Amino acid sequence: MKATVMYAVAGGLMLVSALAEAQQKSTPPDLVTRVCSTCHGPRGISISPMFPNLAAQQPVYLETQLKAFRDRSRADPHAQAFMWGMAAQLTDATITEIAAYYAAQPPAPGKSAGRDETTAGKKIFEEGIPAQQVPPCQSCHGDKAAGNGPFPRLAGQQRSYLERQLAAFISNARANEIMHANAKDLTALQISQIAAFLSAQ
Amino acid sequence: MRIKGFAIATLVPIVSILIAVAAAPPFAPTPASATPGFARQTGISCQACHTVFPELTPFGRKFKLNAYVFTNVKQIEATDEQSQRTLSLSDLPPVSVMLQASNTTLARGVPDAGVAGDLSKKNDTEFPQALSLFYTGKISDNLGAFLQLTWEPSSNAVGIDNSDLRFADHANFDSIGIPDFIYGLSLNNNPTSQDVWNSTPAWGFPFLTSSVGVPSVTAALIDGQLAQESVGLSAYLFLFNHLYVEFGGYRSAQTSFTNTTTGGPGPLDSTAPEVRIAGVAAPYWRLAWEQDWDNHALSFGTYGISTKVHQPGIGESGPTSRLTDVALDAQYQYITDAHIVSATATWIHEFRKFNNVGLADHAHDWLDTARLTGTYFFKRKIGGSVQLFSTTGSRDRTLYCSPDTFATAPSPACPGADTGTPSQLLGSANGKPTTQGAVFEIDYLPWLNTKIGLQYTAYDTFNGRRHNYDGFGRNASQNNLLYVYIWTAF
Repeated sequence: MKATVMYAVAGGLMLVSALAEAQQKSTPPDLVTRVCSTCHGPRGISISPMFPNLAAQQPVYLETQLKAFRDRSRADPHAQAFMWGMAAQLTDATITEIAAYYAAQPPAPGKSAGRDETTAGKKIFEEGIPAQQVPPCQSCHGDKAAGNGPFPRLAGQQRSYLERQLAAFISNARANEIMHANAKDLTALQISQIAAFLSAQ
Repeated sequence: MRIKGFAIATLVPIVSILIAVAAAPPFAPTPASATPGFARQTGISCQACHTVFPELTPFGRKFKLNAYVFTNVKQIEATDEQSQRTLSLSDLPPVSVMLQASNTTLARGVPDAGVAGDLSKKNDTEFPQALSLFYTGKISDNLGAFLQLTWEPSSNAVGIDNSDLRFADHANFDSIGIPDFIYGLSLNNNPTSQDVWNSTPAWGFPFLTSSVGVPSVTAALIDGQLAQESVGLSAYLFLFNHLYVEFGGYRSAQTSFTNTTTGGPGPLDSTAPEVRIAGVAAPYWRLAWEQDWDNHALSFGTYGISTKVHQPGIGESGPTSRLTDVALDAQYQYITDAHIVSATATWIHEFRKFNNVGLADHAHDWLDTARLTGTYFFKRKIGGSVQLFSTTGSRDRTLYCSPDTFATAPSPACPGADTGTPSQLLGSANGKPTTQGAVFEIDYLPWLNTKIGLQYTAYDTFNGRRHNYDGFGRNASQNNLLYVYIWTAF
């Protein structure tokens, strides 16, 4: 009898906690409603290609980026103009909360792009360009481009955002040694093909 | 802007025309909305909220609708025993300064107040044209302000400029299918200054104009006639991230008028050279829809005001007129880092019903105002705008101060009515208000907070005619003006 009550209580607690978690995933933190959603959308699908989609993004990656905006170590032009200010007063706890919320949202649907460019982009994504020392993107970002821990999700991302980030890695405006080495020999056409493929996923 | 129309009423004639043109309003502020105070408070650069100041981006519109409260500076806070926050004040105040300096050259001079018959006043340099002090930002958790004090040498007065005290919060009715929305209240002193689109009068192009141009004979009430001389309280909703609904009321505010008997500050009386709202309040409405996709933002809507007014020159006890403005507007923006294209359009139809004996020829008149503007900027550095403008309306020789009426019964609202001597420049010989032309402007922004502008205003028709519009030989094109300015805020 005692055991039954204990199981019932434990089960009840688990249910409550699961419900609370579900609630947390579906109810945005106040800051998301009032601020982040203005550009990134209430569910992490951005309102303009100027801004990246955050839905289903890796939480570790989101936290790392918010902290990099806060300490100003990520310094590409849009990061400076928009995110340095946005992140200046964020606490670690708020960063975790925002990251968890956006990570839990369903991903943005892919946007169709030209067949030739997506085919070419897919080839680079899967095989890299050995002649230019470009490794396959999927080796870190996953075969579905869903990301993994510190490696961001790229599937369904805004095409122009991806293009701008690759350009920023190449120019070192966004300092990242690995991505600079990977991207530095890409041509503008190749960047456009990769971005087309990824945004279509 | 405010010396158009009825506001010209109490100006003394002829020799004081230049003074009238330059300094008739007790205070004639110039618009500005981009403020470094916001940047100081948010830590975010100008381009988040502005395409090129003062035009707002979709993010800038949200920032304004949310009562300017988003902040990234340390707060001084207090909470009560129920853990309710009772104070949240920025550690450093979001204050800033704005400076405008300009030079204006008229195609043909206007009379010099000091020399009878002289037509030499052609050029005017103003440093500053206006100097403003702002407090723009958060006051408490849901309360923010856009407050502007401006000194203008043309009137040698410090006065309140466009100001907006605003409360906003979020709510949702998910159970009936209404997701998170913004609701708010705005207490402001210029109908449409609280608006977030640049297709309505208060924040519409041209954002800066010369203070010494020749004003046309009339303008619709909502088109600047109540600016800084009224006080309005309005409530708004922004639903589904698309639909904006606002309703409020405006009363006439006391500005700098004195009581002529006591010499001290007094209630508004018939000496006020401005149109005054009669009754409790003038209802104001606004309805707009915004649709954003990719790099595009499109909006369209309606706004308006309807009220009985006391015309200038007619005392509070005299009969009132009814003015009803019904307006449509639209705005399109394409915003990327490299290219910004925007287009705005507005059309205002004013119904005028006069009960005042002798003010107008007819009991019913109408006035249409239309403006169409296109703007392009490259990298927020260099760009230009073209605007076509048009005012048309019913013919009314008395209302529009035709010299013919001065022999018998000039409107008491006309300059020179008190002496029976019609004014040069300001009246309409044929009694038509038609004023049409174009504004061309080229801008260069060496920095995001500094704009150097070259503006040319060309009139095709002025106060009803192309040639000899005032009955004293003045042609419309002689009012063309070249205006060069520098506008910076820091």
